[in-house]
Amino acid sequence: MIEVQGLTKRYGARVAIDDVSFSVPKGEIVGFLGPNGAGKTTTMRIIAGSLGASKGRATVGGFDVVAEPRRVQSMLGYAPETPPVYGNMSVSDYLAFAAVLKGVSDVPAATARAISALGLDKVSDRLIDNLSKGYRQRVGLAQALVHDPKVLILDEPTSGLDPAQRVEVRNLIQQLAAGDRTIVLSTHVLGEVEPICQRVVIINKGRIVAQDQIGALSARGGHLVRLQVARPGAAEALGALPGVTSVVEEDGYLVIRAQEEMRERLAAAAVPFGLLEFSGRARLEDVYLALTKDEARA
Amino acid sequence: MNALFAIARREFEGYFANPVGWVCLAAFAVLSGFFFVADIVIYTTYQAESVMNPSMASQLNINDALIVPWFGQLAITLLFVTPALSMRLIAEDRRSKAIELLLTSPVSSGVIASGKMLGAAAFAVQLMLITAPGAFILVQWGDPDTGVLLTNYLALFLLTLGLMTMGLFFSSLTESQVVALMLSLGTGLLLWIVGWVAEAGDEGTLKTVVEHLSLISHLDAMGNGVLRLKNIVYLLSFTAFFTFATAQRVEALRWR
Repeated sequence: MIEVQGLTKRYGARVAIDDVSFSVPKGEIVGFLGPNGAGKTTTMRIIAGSLGASKGRATVGGFDVVAEPRRVQSMLGYAPETPPVYGNMSVSDYLAFAAVLKGVSDVPAATARAISALGLDKVSDRLIDNLSKGYRQRVGLAQALVHDPKVLILDEPTSGLDPAQRVEVRNLIQQLAAGDRTIVLSTHVLGEVEPICQRVVIINKGRIVAQDQIGALSARGGHLVRLQVARPGAAEALGALPGVTSVVEEDGYLVIRAQEEMRERLAAAAVPFGLLEFSGRARLEDVYLALTKDEARA
Repeated sequence: MNALFAIARREFEGYFANPVGWVCLAAFAVLSGFFFVADIVIYTTYQAESVMNPSMASQLNINDALIVPWFGQLAITLLFVTPALSMRLIAEDRRSKAIELLLTSPVSSGVIASGKMLGAAAFAVQLMLITAPGAFILVQWGDPDTGVLLTNYLALFLLTLGLMTMGLFFSSLTESQVVALMLSLGTGLLLWIVGWVAEAGDEGTLKTVVEHLSLISHLDAMGNGVLRLKNIVYLLSFTAFFTFATAQRVEALRWR
């Protein structure tokens, strides 16, 4: 459904994304992962037709986003990280406006459907300026799906939301995926990806560093170990062991990437620092950290 | 077509959801009323003088002595008011990122620019309507040439539309409304004062070019009640040019 081939975007000498290629089959939900500034938004805006690429091409449903932008945009819904809303409009007026722009034939029905899908009934008559951040985010999502698009591009849909709202939005995305809708979802919150997405594409510093099924990707980090120690100094000591390629600190845990199977040696080396917890099973998060933070350590 | 009118309507209603629209409307109402009263006072003074002076009485008429100066003053006022009205048209959308909705909808850049222009045009009609009490008083208690009055209104409307569309273009160049305002104001004043240069200069190609460019020369020509195609075409092409330029700029925003 979405084909991206060799997409490159340069701003002067700075390269925002470099030779990015991936494809998303119809009906799949893909998580687009990467740290802030990795090029997620740039890639998504190019697919949505609000930014041009310096090189490469993107097609949606077989239509080139540059040659036939209107055809692409009529089947695509894009929710940017900052909701593209007019604060001085009411929620229902804004969604009706978005529906007209997107060429919907029955505007009142489409507006009502989007309002109820996003749980905006209570605030439909309120000015968007007066809504909480969570509701504004939902209005931003509502405009993306008001025309019932086949493809949804969601850029950090849960950013700035509280944990309860995150869960709501996540459930909503799962509902949206019902049927054969194709969804690309960008985030740097990994917990969001595992329950929703079948596949992930990881981008770092403008380049794709991995793309695979979630299960396969977790398995790929076979030589990853996650451990917690009581005393400081373990990172340096473990990092110095032969065979260790990286040590990353994350939320009080050390994520160690090794070239070979060396769980026993790592455990032994960690004991003097007061080993509290040790897990040899790689999680998606660990793979992600290892892939996106390797260079930072080097 | 629906999208065009939806954009126009949103822009028009946006003026009233925003203090800037109301403040500009109020300021223009007060200033136009003030100029109207001042012009009436001056006119009645002339009238009183002309009782003693038959040659002056034969030359004095309400069209030249009241309508033309009043509309001239309205035009200068609008030169200052319109930049404040046009500055937000695209700059605000860019700053708030609401522009993404327009850019990612299946709507061409031409429709976006024309929709914004039509919204501004609808507000320009409001500006004309707010001066209607003056025109009503003239028709009710004076004996003006209706042709002169209508031609002046047409010229004033086309000028307002042109200035607002020029402001629309400058608004598309930047995310800063203040920058958009200064660009519109500066260019508007420049196009106004080149008229003085043209009047002062020697005959020649440059003078002709400057005269054609000058807003004032086209307005003066229409203000006297003479409806010439070239003046209407100038003011309309001013609007068309800046609408086209805005569409190009919006297209560039998509692909930059």
